[in-house]
Amino acid sequence: MAQTKIKLARRNFLLAASAGGVATAAAIVAGPSSKPKASAATGDKHAGKGYQVSEHINNYYRTTKV
Amino acid sequence: MARMKFLCDAERCIECNGCVTACKSEHEVPWGVNRRRVVTINDGVPGEKSISVACMHCSDAPCMAVCPVDCFYRTDDGVVLHDKDLCIGCGYCFYACPFGAPQFPQAGAFGLRGKMDKCTFCNGGPEKDRSAEEFQKYGRNRLAEGKLPACAEMCSTKALLGGDGDVIADIYRERVFKRGKGSEVWGWGTAYGPGKPAAAPSPAPKS
Repeated sequence: MAQTKIKLARRNFLLAASAGGVATAAAIVAGPSSKPKASAATGDKHAGKGYQVSEHINNYYRTTKV
Repeated sequence: MARMKFLCDAERCIECNGCVTACKSEHEVPWGVNRRRVVTINDGVPGEKSISVACMHCSDAPCMAVCPVDCFYRTDDGVVLHDKDLCIGCGYCFYACPFGAPQFPQAGAFGLRGKMDKCTFCNGGPEKDRSAEEFQKYGRNRLAEGKLPACAEMCSTKALLGGDGDVIADIYRERVFKRGKGSEVWGWGTAYGPGKPAAAPSPAPKS
């Protein structure tokens, strides 16, 4: 009986190793697909909040006319 | 869409360097880097004139044209910015810029150049607006705060005008109109002198 248990433990180890390998491969395959998302975010970050006429800016324009 | 521009009124500039100080203070610009400078023409001669110079955010920017890694971009407001994560510090933009705007911090011994730094029109960089990363790399983003560049706002005589190109051009036009002079300060004739008459054709050689 004891011998049978040892054999099962070995099989579990092999199963775990193969499952880990599959997970690694999936991560590698999924890697490039996540890159376009990152570049899209880069494109978005260039379009930040820009010039908007505010009371502060109007006040500045007024002071330049003195 | 507004197009951001600087314009320095040489009749008003008193060379106080307040704009230079405001810029350095606002963005915590490192030692040795000057995003803005005051240039005096005919220094010491009666009638000398001073103007404040930084990146002029050119509509057809030479820096952008020569950059080998294409790190420059123009915002919707016409502000020329660059991405320091892409910059390789080659210095091409420095040679291309007619205003000497690109600056390079010393990154080590033997004249090793760091990443280029220049005026951002107080509009930060590609990082998230008003984030710590943006401030650390490019300085404050005043435009996102509904303000204009610190140099222009701080100018005591309002010689340095900054903002929407249409608005500041109109402000300058009104000043020139009131003074009754000054329109000759800017333009082709001032920059390159009066045109010379075309040279007479040389006589044909006698055979």
